[in-house]
Amino acid sequence: MSFLSYQHFPIFTIMLYFLGAFLIVVFGKAKALRHAVAFLCTAGPLALLISLIGRVMVHGEIISYWMGNRTPVGDYAIGIALEVDALSLFFGLLVATAVFVACLYSFRYMERDHNVPQYYTLYLMLAGGVMGLVLSGDLFNMFIMVEILTFAAVALTAFRNKVTGALEAAFKYLVVGSIGSTCILAGTIILYAQARTLNLAQLAAVIPGNFGVSTKLAFALLFIGFCTKAFIVPFHPLAADAHGAAPASVSVLISGVLTKSGIYGIIRLVFFLFQTMNLGTMQFWLVFLGSVSMFVCVTMALAQHDFKRLLAFHSISQIGYVLTAVGLATGLGISAGLYHAMNHTLFKGLLFLAAGAVLHETGTTDLGKLGGLAKKMPHTAALFLIGAASISGIPPFNGFASKWLIYQATYQKAAETGNIGFALVTVIALVTSTLTLASFVKVTQSVFFGQMPEECKNAKEVPFGMRFAMGILALLCILTGLFPGLVTRYLTEPAAKAAFAAGNYINAMMGQGYAERIMGAAAPGAPAVSFASSGVWSPLSWLLLLMIALLAICVVALSGKYDKVSVRSSKEVEKKYQLFYGGETQSFSQVGGGDLFWGFKHNWRHYFSFMHDLHSGIVNDYSLWAVVALALAIVYALIVL
Amino acid sequence: MITLNYIASFFLIVLGLYCIVVKYDLVKTVIGLSVMDYGVNLLIITIGYHPGGTAPIFTAGEINPASVFVDPIPQALTLTSIVIGACVTAMSLSLVIKLREMYGTLDTREIRRLRG
Repeated sequence: MSFLSYQHFPIFTIMLYFLGAFLIVVFGKAKALRHAVAFLCTAGPLALLISLIGRVMVHGEIISYWMGNRTPVGDYAIGIALEVDALSLFFGLLVATAVFVACLYSFRYMERDHNVPQYYTLYLMLAGGVMGLVLSGDLFNMFIMVEILTFAAVALTAFRNKVTGALEAAFKYLVVGSIGSTCILAGTIILYAQARTLNLAQLAAVIPGNFGVSTKLAFALLFIGFCTKAFIVPFHPLAADAHGAAPASVSVLISGVLTKSGIYGIIRLVFFLFQTMNLGTMQFWLVFLGSVSMFVCVTMALAQHDFKRLLAFHSISQIGYVLTAVGLATGLGISAGLYHAMNHTLFKGLLFLAAGAVLHETGTTDLGKLGGLAKKMPHTAALFLIGAASISGIPPFNGFASKWLIYQATYQKAAETGNIGFALVTVIALVTSTLTLASFVKVTQSVFFGQMPEECKNAKEVPFGMRFAMGILALLCILTGLFPGLVTRYLTEPAAKAAFAAGNYINAMMGQGYAERIMGAAAPGAPAVSFASSGVWSPLSWLLLLMIALLAICVVALSGKYDKVSVRSSKEVEKKYQLFYGGETQSFSQVGGGDLFWGFKHNWRHYFSFMHDLHSGIVNDYSLWAVVALALAIVYALIVL
Repeated sequence: MITLNYIASFFLIVLGLYCIVVKYDLVKTVIGLSVMDYGVNLLIITIGYHPGGTAPIFTAGEINPASVFVDPIPQALTLTSIVIGACVTAMSLSLVIKLREMYGTLDTREIRRLRG
């Protein structure tokens, strides 16, 4: 094996990030040198991974790499392994792209801050942690990488510690994140106690079909651990807090990259390590968690008045889509989910960078204090609109393609299994998409159009370096929306197949024939991904869906007649609603751009006030949610698995 | 004897979680995190234990099929885990100091500017 052989590329990819982090500590004082190192150490991994697409995605090769060339001895994996199949490479590419673009952006964005070298060190550590997680072939190394990325993310959240809530958000994230990490460690070690190995491939061959009590406990612990990293409900308040306080370029990483690492962990766990996805209840729980995340977070987003906090809730809502589609466990479903995961990284990155540009120029992200910025920042406004159209699922942007596939996949699942519940999920996905659009109409109106407040008069267009980074993401949003056929054929479909083909992965690492020998003939293969129903249009069922959606909204609006409402700001606001219902005391009322849907919000006030009280901001409450989720997962695993 | 270790480790984990959920003092939250961590460390080291085993340190030719020693891998894992636990404690305490400066209190019920 020569030194520059492609088999070394995965380890180079991970080490380049960590090497960069180290070099910046040593040489980071000089600005030019610091930027050069950061650029090379983020562009390098991206180039290395792109060069692997041909082999891994097209030809289906699986690269396995043993550190120090310690190959298995007598069917026992004694070395530490890296393994790159199509699924790992897919997530690796997402990570590398987001890290590279956000790094380009931060060259100009961070120049006014203090301690910039430390920022780049932590930034590269975070990137290296996530990359190590997705390329690792070893369960304990996955835990180490989870810890590295959690630490880096916590430190970066608290980086601008003068910002309101930055320290608070970091502390809450550290507490609940540590509970999650400890769960992962405990799960790992309990699996080790049973199988006496930490190698993913060997575990995947030994564990499925041999479930004891401790295995089930380990499953619950690992599952909740990775849910914490993906910020699935009930862990979503942490994401909202962290995004709001962190610098925009870090929000891109937390939303586009960190949540993906959690999703990757969940996929590896349920499809691969334990192979529990053939259970109906497991599918139900993933789809249920996904749907709840989708809906709860989009309604939470509607009630927000802070630009970045609103985007953060939308981010988790979109992760809900991904989890729902993955939970269907059909070829089309997981392919659609991965497609949406990719799109989420692209459009969410774009939106956070645009929010960062607004913050950079005006110094605030409060929707009530912004307005009319399209005149001053036309390019940023145009780029933001592309991102907003993408996340709302408007053709021809990429959000449309993946959301359409998710609707198709859920509906097809309903038709195949005869379970009406999956059709209901389609409805929830549609309603969520509509609410997303509504929310972005509000943001666009209140930030870029409407009246300009005095404080925004001095705003001007952001430097070219920042617009260039946003432009790359906008271009990718359009390209992946225009050519869904190419994306599915070369990226998501191989990755979806790899998620099912545990047998190939095991054999690539442990030697040919190992999976068959240990697991018998049970080594699962990959199901075909069919796009036969893509683009099928049935007006009658859509009409039916619309009626169900209307019914659901009416039920929620009419329910909860008690009048204990905490989100009531002042008498002025009440007068606005009186006007709306004909009981006015004034002849006209002023509605700000940030309050575009006040009539809707007023009708749903019981729901919103309930949710507002629930997200109390007390770290004990959030920890309690984590403990309850863990307890439920353990009970489920012990009873059902 | 070894069963007691397992019981103690899970007791420590649950005690740590209880402390995090119930106590309203930031420092006690950090202590809870540490206790939980110690519980997991004890669990790891217990899993590697072998009755009558010696330390897993051998030179070439010294090892034979009859030699009994404890599993070295969990010990390596525990070391890593202890280091990480120390980092968690250091980092969270530094955040607590900063929070005390900014909010003037250590009560979690008053540190809740981000909510809703």
